[in-house]
Amino acid sequence: MSDTTRDRLSRCLAAYFSGLSPQEIPRASMATVGEWDSMASVTLIAIVAEEFGREIAQEDYEKFVSYELILDYLENEPRVPRG
Amino acid sequence: MKLVEALKCLQATPVDARPLSLHIVCGFTPLHLQTFVAAHVQAIAPSRRVVMTSGLFGDCLGNLERLAASEPLPEAAVLALEWPDFDPRLGLRNIGGWRPSDLADISATVASQVERFAAAIARVATHVPLRVSLPTLPLPPVSYFPSGQSGAFDLGLRARVLELGALAAQNANVALVNPQRIDRTSPLEQRGDVVSDLSSGFPYSLSHASALGRALAELVVPVQPKKGLITDLDDTLWRGLVGEVGPDAVTWDLDHKSHGHALYQQMLASLAESGVLIAVASKNDRAVAEQAFEVREELSPLRQWLFPMEISWGPKSEAIGKILEAWNVAADSVVFVDDSPLELAEAQAAWPDLACIRYPKESDAQLYALLERLRDSFGKASVSTEDGLRSQSLRQAQVFRDQVATGTADVDNFLSKLEAELTLNYATDPPDPRALELINKTNQFNLNGHRYTEGDWLAHLKSSGTWLMSVAYKDKFGPLGTIGVITGRYSNQARSATVEAWVLSCRAFSRRIEHACLAALFTRFDLAEIAFEFQSTAKNGPLKLFLRELLGREPDGPFTLSRSAFESACPTLYHRLKEFPQ
Repeated sequence: MSDTTRDRLSRCLAAYFSGLSPQEIPRASMATVGEWDSMASVTLIAIVAEEFGREIAQEDYEKFVSYELILDYLENEPRVPRG
Repeated sequence: MKLVEALKCLQATPVDARPLSLHIVCGFTPLHLQTFVAAHVQAIAPSRRVVMTSGLFGDCLGNLERLAASEPLPEAAVLALEWPDFDPRLGLRNIGGWRPSDLADISATVASQVERFAAAIARVATHVPLRVSLPTLPLPPVSYFPSGQSGAFDLGLRARVLELGALAAQNANVALVNPQRIDRTSPLEQRGDVVSDLSSGFPYSLSHASALGRALAELVVPVQPKKGLITDLDDTLWRGLVGEVGPDAVTWDLDHKSHGHALYQQMLASLAESGVLIAVASKNDRAVAEQAFEVREELSPLRQWLFPMEISWGPKSEAIGKILEAWNVAADSVVFVDDSPLELAEAQAAWPDLACIRYPKESDAQLYALLERLRDSFGKASVSTEDGLRSQSLRQAQVFRDQVATGTADVDNFLSKLEAELTLNYATDPPDPRALELINKTNQFNLNGHRYTEGDWLAHLKSSGTWLMSVAYKDKFGPLGTIGVITGRYSNQARSATVEAWVLSCRAFSRRIEHACLAALFTRFDLAEIAFEFQSTAKNGPLKLFLRELLGREPDGPFTLSRSAFESACPTLYHRLKEFPQ
């Protein structure tokens, strides 16, 4: 299950950050990827919400700053279906 | 289209593809709408690489006004209007007051902004093709009325905005998204995303952004309309088998529950008058079928447009072949409508590129869907004088070809008595939309198959050294309208010109118009030679035939023709020339 979530999240990041290699994606964050600005976070929220079919609460937007944090959010936060 | 699919679509574009520059104008953060517009344009035009730019957040009118003065100009611009662009109080990100006492001022502000937008749209559209969507989101609960009731306030706002749309739509360089299209593809209650609007300034749900992006993209890169429709008669143009029940008993009315056929006839007449070729392919006794058109007077307005009428007991595919030959149109530009799945299958097997559509005689609901599909297949942005002449001139062309082919007319003797007149128009401002339409839809007499977007075309006409010749023709049989376009660049020093695009309608073949055009070019610009950017395509056989006769060989790419070589190969010309400007 965890691998599946990783794979799907990796695909989400690869769709937006097309220049990242598969090895770079798990380490990607606002600190390591120059293109990852606030607008990129907004787009990633939309892509992840679409891919995983879940509503992402506004208070969780701040977690969309690194691959690891998003993965942790997807694996551990209670799932809220899209309304 | 999902957002991730849109991003992948854009990433898959070859880096070396020719750029298609698009500018998006809106008052909100363009974000996903920009992505979806780009991806949908990319999907429609895969050989291009869409490059999108946008303006400042929160200043839609300012962005539009700045666009007219920007350098370089984009090939096209997309204007996505929403209510806050007319008054920020009609959005959620500004707190300006929703008190009843505020409403009059909101109405006045909207009216004033509408005037400013109208002026800006007119200014921008003189430079850049503009594709516009009027507000698609619901009005927020500004008015004191309950949500189920309309009042002068909200209806007045809508009226002002619709007036803006109606005014903008009169501009040939502006196209508007049809709100009915958005109503169908994006349910009203699912269009907005309040969370996204407040948190990031993007007011649309992803599904709505995709639907609106697609609608705008289809206006940026419109699909070329089909050229002709071939219809069956029995249980298609009318209800009943005319050979069995007789011409008096076939029906198309409410009383006989066959009103769908009347709607279909109405659609055919509308298409015909807007320039679509309409022909008949029917398995019938020809005399009986023709009698129906004589006896039933209601059919006479439609009858004048039907050419040719291929009525026999032979296979439909053969009838279709004769029609395509008479029209000189390829099967992929034609729709065939018949109630019989068997006939459609037989026609499809013989003509794989033909669009074969079944007439759904058992269902009025499906018939309505057919009418909409036909409108979509043949829809165009404007109707020209030439559209009304097309069917008539094809009949004349057939008579002309028959006389030449059967040897009943000596060609020179025949041409000398045609009283042919060519009107050569060199004006480029304002651009004649017919010239671009001809270039983008002509396949057979086409120098290289190159197509232009509206933005490409405007940029070409404005660039230094460009010349354009639009060619209109008439003779004693009547006018053909504008049937040819040649354009390129010239160099005064070298007394040479380059032809970059050259098209001639198939209706105008065999009249030596192509020779007359070249003769006029050599004379007008005092040219010693003309270079042609020729490229062989799968469909430009008639152009290659002309070049073989002119050059004594078929060129394998771009070539140059000297004036002396042309004059020695040019046959006698009998046209009277009128040139504008003199």
